[in-house]
Amino acid sequence: MAREVKLPQLGQTMEEGTIVNTLVKPGDQVSKGDVLFEVETDKATLEVESPADGFVKAILVENGQTLPINAPILVLGEENETVDAGAYKTEAPACEPDKHSAAEPATEHCEPAPASPRSSQSVAETGPTTQVVRMPKLGQTMEEGTIVNTLVNVGDEVKKGDVLFEVETDKATLEAEAPADGCVKAILVELGQTVPVNEPLMVLADRDENVPQGFLDALMHEGTAPAETVPDHVTAAQHAAAAPETMTPRPAGPTVAPSGPAERVFATPRARMIAQELGIDLRGLTPANALRIVEADVRRAAQAVGKKTKDHGVISAVSPKYTFGQKIPLNRLQRIVAEKMLWSKQHIPCFYLTIRADVTALVALRAKLNKTSSVKLSFNDFILRALAAGMQHYPIMTGQLDGDHIQLAASLDFGLAISTDDGLIAPIVRDCGARSVYDIAAYCKDLIERTRAGKLTLDDLEGGCITVSNLGGFGIEAFIPIVVPGQTSILGVGAITDTVVPSDGNLLVRKLMTLTLSVDHKVVNGAEAAQFLDFVKKHLEHPDALVES
Amino acid sequence: MAFSLEDRRQKTPPKIIDLISKNLITKEQALDWLRSIYEIRFFEDKVYDLLGQNIIKGASHLYAGQEAVAVGACSAIQKGDVIGSTHRGHGHCGAIGNKYAETEELRQMHWNRMMAELMGKETGYCNGRGGSMHIADVKHGNLGSTGIVGGNIPNAVGAALAEKYKKSGAVVLSFFGDGATNTGAFHESMNMASVQGAPLVAIIENNLYGMSVPFSGSPVEGAGCAANVEHIAERAAAYGVPGMIVDGQDTAAVFLAVKDAVEHARTHTEMTIIECKTYRWYGHSRSDPRVYRTKEEEKAWKDRDPINVLSKKLLDEKLASKEELDAIRARAEKTIEDATQFAMDSPWPKPEELTKDVYVQETYPDEMAAKDRDNAKKALTATRAYESLIKTLQGKTKKEISEKAKEQIKADYGMSVLAMKDAIVQAQAEEMRRDPNVYIEGEDVGIYGGAYGATKGLLQEFGKERVIDTAISEAAIVGSAVGAALRGLRPIAEIMYVDFMPICLDQLMHNGAFNRYMFGGHAKVPMVVRTEGGVGRCIAAHHSKSLEPWLVNVPGLYVVMPSTPYDAKGLLKAAIRSDNPVVFIEHKATYGQMGAAPTDDYIIPLGVADVKREGKDVTLVSYSRQVMFCLAAADELAERHGIQAEVIDLRTIKPMDIRTVAESVRKTGRLVTVAESFCMCGVGPEIVRQLFSYTFENGRTGFDYLDAAPVNMAAADVPPPMSEPLENASIPTPDKIVETVKALL
Repeated sequence: MAREVKLPQLGQTMEEGTIVNTLVKPGDQVSKGDVLFEVETDKATLEVESPADGFVKAILVENGQTLPINAPILVLGEENETVDAGAYKTEAPACEPDKHSAAEPATEHCEPAPASPRSSQSVAETGPTTQVVRMPKLGQTMEEGTIVNTLVNVGDEVKKGDVLFEVETDKATLEAEAPADGCVKAILVELGQTVPVNEPLMVLADRDENVPQGFLDALMHEGTAPAETVPDHVTAAQHAAAAPETMTPRPAGPTVAPSGPAERVFATPRARMIAQELGIDLRGLTPANALRIVEADVRRAAQAVGKKTKDHGVISAVSPKYTFGQKIPLNRLQRIVAEKMLWSKQHIPCFYLTIRADVTALVALRAKLNKTSSVKLSFNDFILRALAAGMQHYPIMTGQLDGDHIQLAASLDFGLAISTDDGLIAPIVRDCGARSVYDIAAYCKDLIERTRAGKLTLDDLEGGCITVSNLGGFGIEAFIPIVVPGQTSILGVGAITDTVVPSDGNLLVRKLMTLTLSVDHKVVNGAEAAQFLDFVKKHLEHPDALVES
Repeated sequence: MAFSLEDRRQKTPPKIIDLISKNLITKEQALDWLRSIYEIRFFEDKVYDLLGQNIIKGASHLYAGQEAVAVGACSAIQKGDVIGSTHRGHGHCGAIGNKYAETEELRQMHWNRMMAELMGKETGYCNGRGGSMHIADVKHGNLGSTGIVGGNIPNAVGAALAEKYKKSGAVVLSFFGDGATNTGAFHESMNMASVQGAPLVAIIENNLYGMSVPFSGSPVEGAGCAANVEHIAERAAAYGVPGMIVDGQDTAAVFLAVKDAVEHARTHTEMTIIECKTYRWYGHSRSDPRVYRTKEEEKAWKDRDPINVLSKKLLDEKLASKEELDAIRARAEKTIEDATQFAMDSPWPKPEELTKDVYVQETYPDEMAAKDRDNAKKALTATRAYESLIKTLQGKTKKEISEKAKEQIKADYGMSVLAMKDAIVQAQAEEMRRDPNVYIEGEDVGIYGGAYGATKGLLQEFGKERVIDTAISEAAIVGSAVGAALRGLRPIAEIMYVDFMPICLDQLMHNGAFNRYMFGGHAKVPMVVRTEGGVGRCIAAHHSKSLEPWLVNVPGLYVVMPSTPYDAKGLLKAAIRSDNPVVFIEHKATYGQMGAAPTDDYIIPLGVADVKREGKDVTLVSYSRQVMFCLAAADELAERHGIQAEVIDLRTIKPMDIRTVAESVRKTGRLVTVAESFCMCGVGPEIVRQLFSYTFENGRTGFDYLDAAPVNMAAADVPPPMSEPLENASIPTPDKIVETVKALL
């Protein structure tokens, strides 16, 4: 039976997309997951995949055409089926986003499910196709989610990957997808309900299969009942597998934040202070006294992680969170990082420059300024300021090869690599050329906070001509970073180390910092980049000018 | 001389010319009376006007109509004598200021400062802190005015007794109104002044109405009646002292009566009560419509305006011409106009100086604090050694064992072991020997030696002049101590139970604690109120409370509560030497508590806590007897539960040494406060409040260092019950402290 493929919503803010490439033609046989189109949104170019196996019966759009989401773009059918493409075109609601259309489920999301929702095995009481859809863990720290939208009704047929619910966590609104094909037999949650990870949301089964009420009742009570009363058919192994992945094994007992959509961590002021000093994330801790996290809990965790009382600056330390042999699902962020880095290595021919800057004066200046400054200045803030000064002398460092010309950036927007729980993000510090080091510091502080809180907007992520990546906090002295696609270069900043330096026949102990610049050779040549880097170095060695400017 | 009643209105009014011929006054003085009366009158008229314009704000009780009393009375005393004023005090302040104004310039400045004070300006007599109701030039023998009717009388009595003790020969005039004579403070004060032989003249300005209520009835329908006597002077009979009734509109008559009474007080140290019949032109205050008196009555009195009465005498007796009197009037009017302009042009007090002069700033040398730390530690160790010696030494009687143990401690530590009550006796005796200005007054402090033996033997050493048994008159005891302190003595007033403190709280708070600030920092009240509190003797709700939370709520007071004989002695000596009013609260269950103390003269700085036991797990903050309970609990916590509790003895509740508490919590992360007073708005919650906002050198606050919610242990919210099991149940005890700490960790 023929079915139409609609333009999916490929991002939270996507309202329409432009077909930039059609990869199939009528008559082609396609499998579920094959890429049908490339679609460009205001943010990115994305792929529309086939929601099912079949034959392309009609293509309803042309390259260059811009369509609202949910507009029909292709018709799939059986090999010999005759399809009246015109009928689809006219029937389709031209631009009305119709996510609630139960009869025609939305096409599959181009991204795979961020995490595999668990499903109950078939058991004696239920039919062989019965599937329990559970609250997926959609992020590293997600412990529960609130149902903000239900996109299907009982009786609907859904395909694996169809969006069933929109779920709001403390970080974002995310989609819970169907783990398999089936007919919606029961929806176990209501709008607004907050559901812990792995609790049942929905039951799917073949249309003809009967799901006993007793089974549904048992599922409904699963969330509230103690572990012993979980129905027998949910095996212990499944329970173990369903345990939330957190930094420290979570013993049985109340969690830190048993309820509420925004996860509130209950900890004493002292515990918060010590955690801040030791760099411990309170969200992963379970208090021994079960009421609130106290100093002892933090110290135990610090001991377990082997953390030292050291400030790691922008890049936070990583604790062992995986076990050997484990299959780690790619989260969205890591997937993007992987794609971009691969693209970069394939398309950006780099050369690498390394230089050592004597930052003895900078260290002293920063300490002095931080005694009085309301915003604490980091070394990165000075480096960003120095890069801005350098770019103003060497604007070529902002260039991008664009066909027959090099396009220089309109403003000095720099990326700042930030490590988060979910992975690496390099949001953009806008217009560094017009900002004082204090401005930059305040901007970065806000940016880092928003990054860590998952509150970045897409505007924070676009553009840039250089990124600063600082691994000095981990003791790394030098490293070669990979240029972010769309940018010209990237600066790898190493640790500041006390180094013996010959000077006029004497030996001085100076504070040196190694800078490594990876540069796109398509745009810039070695001599220019070397002069640029030397200019930046000199500014860092004579930092008073950075503060004055 | 005992009670007599002389109604001088029955006699021929005195002629001014006779006063001059008898060399009692000069003609210039008589003319100056008129000038002063005019100045007061114009001042009051101007104040009335400025109140209406909202240039002067607040309350103003105008003296117009009564000027002959203030001017006549103040003319009858010498420089160095003292007056006590009331809420209707502009006349007294004006008259006494004129007396000290040697030049025209100083006289103008005097009125300038009065007007500025009423406007709340920095240039006022009290720098704008007192205003109309508390206006005073305390440096010129004015004890100041009080806003509480009758509240000023005990201070005047205390001042008079102080002058007598100092043998200065000075006399105190205590002005007050008819309304005040129905208060307890009046009775307590007159009785005390009479029985102690105070050189006092009590001047009742009977203006016939206490606000709206007529003293002895009124023809106005619906008006009330305050007393069943017409002449207040008759009440002198109750105190066995002379009473006089005077025409309060006749300056010469007032002058002569007061002069006689002052001479009598100076030579016989006996007080006189003078009732001046007078009338106020305005209502009680500007908003008073005066419905309680008739227009006819007002007219009859205004016909006898003190200005008219005096002017007529001066003209009739040919002492001045009409033109001369007009010139006096014009001059007075200009003085007040200029004063008004001065006040208008004067600066406001600075808000950043809001808290200036609440206390006399006192500092202690660092060596004193260091010595105290050493001594305190040693005393505690020696006390523990004494306690174990008592258990191990052999002897026929307990006394013999105790004496042996004391000798041993003296040999080992160089300290003597003494009971709390003896430490208190010693502290007082040492300070009385050191400073002749120190004296003791209170109930049963003399031959009885104090209800708890805390003044035992002092009468024998220092005599009745310095160890004064008073009647049961708490307001007069504390109020007279305030007056004596204002006159340079250092009184120790004993209030037998802290439960009696509410009876004298007006005196303690409004006069003892507030005077310095209200009078712009120009006065100090160095006094100690010694009292005791707490449960422990099954004497129920009227004799067992701990009321320190009430007292720390009074700006201007210090509150000290010792826990050991060492602390009691050193702190009491510091309290006596302090220039601030200090309430020193002993615990009734600790008078027999033995403890070691140095034998030499030592004092403990006020406002410095003592860490009585060091620990790392939890901070126990306490004071008074509960410190002993905390130490007992800490022993058990350490021995049986492996918990190391730090025990801090605040010693001084106000000023509170929050730094020591905060530094301890920084270490332990946990705070338990232990007090015997009621919890609501108590000392424990106050410690927590101050801890939260205490800021360390690193910018962190006390709040940041807390690893558990602080716990405030305090008395149950019940009137202390008599029955012993209930009494014990009502307060923190060592076992309850142990349980609380265990639950916290």
